[in-house]
Amino acid sequence: MNHSQYKLFSFHQLILNIKDTLIIFAKEFGSVFNDRGVVILFFVASILYPALYCSLYRNETLVDVPIAVVDGSRSLRSTELLRHVDATRDVKIVSTYATIDEAKKAFDNREVHGLIYIPADFNKKLSNGEQATISTYSDMSSFMYYRAMMMATNYSILDMGKQIQVERLNAQGFTGESATVISNPIPYEAVILYNEGAGFASFLMPAILILIIHQTLFFGIGMIAGTSREENRFHELVSSKVHRGGTFKVVIGKSACYFLIYGLLSVYILGFIPHAFNLPHIGNPVDLMILMVPFLLATIFFSMTVSVFLPNRETGLIIFMFFSLILLFLSGISWPRSNISGFWQAFSWIFPSTHGIQGYVKINTMGANIHTISLEYLSLWGQTAVYFLTATWAYRWQIKKSSKKYQKESKEETELITK
Amino acid sequence: MLSNLQISITKTFKRELKRMVSRPIYFLSTIAVMTFCYVFFLTLFSEGQPVRMPIAVVDLDNSSLSRQFIRNLDATQQAQVVMRLHSHKEAREEMQKGNIYAFVEMEHDFASKAISNRRPTITFYVNDTYLIAGSLILKDITYMTELTSGAMQQQVLRAKGIDESRIMGIIQPIAMDTHLIGNPWANYGTYLLNVMLPGVLQLCVLLITVFAIGTELKDRTSRVWLETADNSIFAAVTGKLLPYTIVLTVLGIISNLLLYSYMHYPLNSSIGWMFLTTFLFVLAYQAIGIVFIGLTPVLRDGVTMSAFFGLFGFTFAGFTFPIEQMPYVSRIFSDLFPIRHYFNIYVNQALYGLNIGHSIVPMVALLSFTILPLFVYHRLKNAAINQNFPIK
Repeated sequence: MNHSQYKLFSFHQLILNIKDTLIIFAKEFGSVFNDRGVVILFFVASILYPALYCSLYRNETLVDVPIAVVDGSRSLRSTELLRHVDATRDVKIVSTYATIDEAKKAFDNREVHGLIYIPADFNKKLSNGEQATISTYSDMSSFMYYRAMMMATNYSILDMGKQIQVERLNAQGFTGESATVISNPIPYEAVILYNEGAGFASFLMPAILILIIHQTLFFGIGMIAGTSREENRFHELVSSKVHRGGTFKVVIGKSACYFLIYGLLSVYILGFIPHAFNLPHIGNPVDLMILMVPFLLATIFFSMTVSVFLPNRETGLIIFMFFSLILLFLSGISWPRSNISGFWQAFSWIFPSTHGIQGYVKINTMGANIHTISLEYLSLWGQTAVYFLTATWAYRWQIKKSSKKYQKESKEETELITK
Repeated sequence: MLSNLQISITKTFKRELKRMVSRPIYFLSTIAVMTFCYVFFLTLFSEGQPVRMPIAVVDLDNSSLSRQFIRNLDATQQAQVVMRLHSHKEAREEMQKGNIYAFVEMEHDFASKAISNRRPTITFYVNDTYLIAGSLILKDITYMTELTSGAMQQQVLRAKGIDESRIMGIIQPIAMDTHLIGNPWANYGTYLLNVMLPGVLQLCVLLITVFAIGTELKDRTSRVWLETADNSIFAAVTGKLLPYTIVLTVLGIISNLLLYSYMHYPLNSSIGWMFLTTFLFVLAYQAIGIVFIGLTPVLRDGVTMSAFFGLFGFTFAGFTFPIEQMPYVSRIFSDLFPIRHYFNIYVNQALYGLNIGHSIVPMVALLSFTILPLFVYHRLKNAAINQNFPIK
């Protein structure tokens, strides 16, 4: 009898707990949608930012970078070489100068971003069977100019060089197979994987997409927490006062709300955007979803933990805005992870974005499956567990603090009345 | 008249100094942020170029020749052979795990083919998902392979009795002599930090400007603020923002000193021009901050606008992806970002050491941003007096 009563009681309790959690969950939607700042962060930013960035970086590589030439040789060979350079996708010869000094003026005025100089003895040396040298000058204000210049000139020089080489070998009496063997003793092939066009957007955007999710969640949750602090009451406390031990319910109810919103947003950011803007997307959607669960949870609990320390709704944005950049560099997408010092690597493990970005890029861009990225996947679950505990602890601390204040206040009130 | 204005400004200035030490946010969002960034970026990019990045080999031949080739690979500056794997599949997996950025595959009859002149092939697989690592490694191993095959060619041609003077002309008929203007070693620190540090600074300037003014409106202390300045909104804004102008300019100058004196990044003109530019840069962003809080004039909206505008500054500086390669509208749009003009001055002065005449237009552009607050003069004053905007 007693036993079944106990059972009944716990079942009843469970129902009540679920009901409370659902109330908190539903209420949280109210605090999200009734706050213009949060709506801007959660919806406007995470919908517009990916599209805007993708359109700005639409050109994956530079096309027809304007360059100048100084052709001291003015020969058939030099004209042919320059025509070849001009025909590449990377650069475009926009002006020809008689001297390097003149060309330098165009360079200084930033009309051109590169210069090719062909010396007067170019053709003579080629005719005499000697090695001819040309010079290139690259604008280093952006490495992408340099890259375009190198691609165009290297390709053209190698191509022309091969022709001349065969001619010279023939002249020395090597023909057919033996000429081929001498001209290219170790043929090599370079295969660029996953980002075949070496594109800038394909390289950077996947990381930015994850970062957008991470940062808008962080700032949005910070703003919600700051607002409730400003209003100087723990508005979820109302429901947790009714049933004791409400911290879990508060944390779970709130996080469920964020999780649902960002689960849907992730479909747009990680599913729609890469397709629409032709970014790499060879990942298995199921693997992506499996990864996103711990990533979103870890980010939510991490943000909830930090949010407890933000006194005002704007504080998070003002102090941590710059951190978006730090997180991008810590992820190891641009500056290689192998070359980040042990200290900063350890530091990077604090933030869900690090493994989130790496995991996402590996699945989405490199077609890895969830087993290949078990390091990232398990780390994200580890973070989820740790930050769930810290968030619960921080919320409990807050609830205790505010309920003490409530008690004190009501005590004072009763004292006032009795007086 | 003038002295009255001076007195009003001084009073507001002193009031602001007190406010600055009253809450940690003022310190955290300026000095602490910049100090963190100095340490972070300078330590992260101390190498200049990433060296000895992990790669693998799939040596199906395992001959003395292939092992020699692997030793050569390991001796390159940017690559380091950390794994010897047995199959393509295994290598692909290590690459997907991110443990290696590239791998080199040599076929099983590599040596025998080489000896019998049947041309063995080598295949490089490079992961350009990590664009910097991938392209640097590819450049390095391609160069190494060219050298190796050049040495082989030299041997063969010598053995055939070709005249020494003709050998180089056969191996490489056209050579290229590359000059990297301004940054001869392609140092990533030079390339990125010259914009990253000012980039973080502009975020700080925008946010603290909006916060310093917006918090008066939000906390409903704006009337006291205006009274301190004897009801002159000009004196109120100037006196309030002057302490930040000083602190943020000093932080910007510390960035300059760290980049040019401590790290010895290229500086081909007087450092004084960079100091002046930094000062104008701070003023320009303070002006934009005033406009943002004047327009809204709600703290939270001003902060959101600043955050978005500040983050887009990194894109519109045009230092990674050049502006002229973006859609046409963004070229015009980029002129609205002071960091774009800062970048142009930096390239002209520090990187290329051009005549200062080249930088007059961007400097005037920076200066002209300071006119903008006039457009919100009345709106801001009315908001400060009437306090008729929501605080949330």
